[in-house]
Amino acid sequence: MDQKSAGLNITIFFCQQIDPEQDVNRRALEKELGRRIRFFPLPCSGRTDSLHIMRALESGADKVYILTCPEGACHYREGNIRARKRIAYTQDLIAEIGLERERVELIALPAGTSSTIDKLARELLAREATLSPSPVRGKLN
Amino acid sequence: MITAERKPITEIKEMIAPYKKVLVVGCGSCVAECASGGEKEVGLLASALRMDAKASGKDVEIKEMTLDRQCVYEFIDQLTDVIDQYDVILSLGCGAGVQAVAEVFPKALILPALNTTFIGQTKEAGLWIENCRGCGDCKLGYFAAVCPITRCAKGLFNGPCGGSKADRCEVDPDVPCAWQLIVTRLEDMGRLDLLCKVHPPADWSKQQGKGPRKIYREDQRS
Amino acid sequence: MMTESWLKKILQSGHFAVTAECGPPKGADPEVVKNKGRILKGHVDSVNVTDNQTGVVRLSSLAACALLLAEGLDPVLQMVTRDRNRIALQSDVLGASALGIRNILCLSGDHQSFGNQPQAKGVFDIDSIQFVQTVRKMRDAGEVIGGDKLTQPPQLFIGAVENPFADPLKYRASRLATKAEAGAEFIQTQCIYNIKRFKEWMGLVRDTGVDGKVYILGGITPLKSARMAEYMANNVAGMDLPEEIIKRMKSVPQKEQRQEGMKIAVETIQELQAIKGVRGVHIMAIEWEDAVPQIVQEAKLSPRPQV
Repeated sequence: MDQKSAGLNITIFFCQQIDPEQDVNRRALEKELGRRIRFFPLPCSGRTDSLHIMRALESGADKVYILTCPEGACHYREGNIRARKRIAYTQDLIAEIGLERERVELIALPAGTSSTIDKLARELLAREATLSPSPVRGKLN
Repeated sequence: MITAERKPITEIKEMIAPYKKVLVVGCGSCVAECASGGEKEVGLLASALRMDAKASGKDVEIKEMTLDRQCVYEFIDQLTDVIDQYDVILSLGCGAGVQAVAEVFPKALILPALNTTFIGQTKEAGLWIENCRGCGDCKLGYFAAVCPITRCAKGLFNGPCGGSKADRCEVDPDVPCAWQLIVTRLEDMGRLDLLCKVHPPADWSKQQGKGPRKIYREDQRS
Repeated sequence: MMTESWLKKILQSGHFAVTAECGPPKGADPEVVKNKGRILKGHVDSVNVTDNQTGVVRLSSLAACALLLAEGLDPVLQMVTRDRNRIALQSDVLGASALGIRNILCLSGDHQSFGNQPQAKGVFDIDSIQFVQTVRKMRDAGEVIGGDKLTQPPQLFIGAVENPFADPLKYRASRLATKAEAGAEFIQTQCIYNIKRFKEWMGLVRDTGVDGKVYILGGITPLKSARMAEYMANNVAGMDLPEEIIKRMKSVPQKEQRQEGMKIAVETIQELQAIKGVRGVHIMAIEWEDAVPQIVQEAKLSPRPQV
């Protein structure tokens, strides 16, 4: 079953350079899924902060994606490398409280990708749901 | 600065397990600089603990606060109005901070979330290295500003030892031989003469003290 | 019991001295020490006893030296500053002298992280050079650190170690001068495989004139096998074991490697005897004390002189 049908809460942090029209392109999905999808654009994926990922998980995200520009193509040179290190740190932290590392996933887009945030998000939602709803969710969410 | 590292979460969880209301208190000074106890780290830890509580169905309130410094009364005082609302304070201060807070609030339970480690410098982003052992009798002037007590594994004052090879310490190949560094620097300065005389034994009483050491300044007292 | 140091007498009379090493057991059996003593007796002038070498707990050097004394040998008490503060060190110096031990070798010691007690607190209250200075002052001025007077000064011939193969190379010669100034009377070096480099070092030493101030004994450790050679080359801090030596050891079948190792040792000793400023050899046959008599004989250093 794909993630959308499984009703998982998805949060996507992404580098703005990926889709300069992102504020328009994401509206359709936001309308369709409501609180099940949240988008956080960043000026550069290097600005990914462990704290933001933790807050996303804490507020009920089952899966957090961080989308970065392809390796070597970062607008700001090393942003995607920094993102990778911080995500690893966050994964170590959630592992310490028994959450699966896979709940946080970095995706470096393949070189030459030209897409919209809407298309990318739908591709992610279409992926097989391998995680159950987060134990952090509790009964209300 | 004083450096510290966060204790493993399993250890912290065990410490706060009996309590229902926890205030996680950070410090904006040394531990913020070494990314272990500042406001952000308070956020990360509190978030992790809250998620853990939710996931295990535990009913516990975990709040956050950060003081500019945990080792000075004027800042610790900011806790006065709120401390009674909590069962326990989980401090991300260094050992000095934890104890200072406990002294101001002797009836409160203050727990340490960090393991305080050493006095050191930020050598690079993400890399902190010990460089001072607080011996109370600084001799850096004789050793080209390389502390032999801290940076020589054997604390030699007339080094190097026979295990120094390719400017590495015999104990750990990642550790540079402090004495190689001292000799090289003094040579470059043309001051190898500083090593001609035998450096006498240190006065360790200045470091060890008779129990905790103190500094008393009458002119600074109110 | 005011017997003089035998090692000192041999060196002062101009003979090429031969000392060996005795490693105490990891246990309380005095017979082990006595047996090693019996193997070495008469074949060497003096016997060093190591002090919890590499931070592994062994029968104490002081006790082992007393046992060797009783066997009629002239022991060299090795004492490291890693395990004892200045109170204990100075106390043991007095104790050693009272027991009749007449030689002491002052070292810092291998770091405690190498041994079987890595959680121990390394003391390092004073370093080896400060220790040399301390013993010298106890002996010649009858004083402990701080100036308090001793009722009777210890009687000890004072030694230190040097590693000609550790870095910084240039500095190793001037460091020797500092040790001489601190009061060292004899020096035993780390074991020599790179005789060329050793000769270079001796050249630097002679330039400073220190060879006239301290008796230098070159260290020799016979190789038991090619594997030992490789191990030492890669794992022992401060060791310089040239590739040719390893090749030479590998070139003979395993059964003959011990003999080859002894041959190399004998050849090196013969080279040492020809170097100006080298006054003796210190044979460290680790757990192979029975190789010593043969080595001494083949190096034509038998029988040992009587002075």
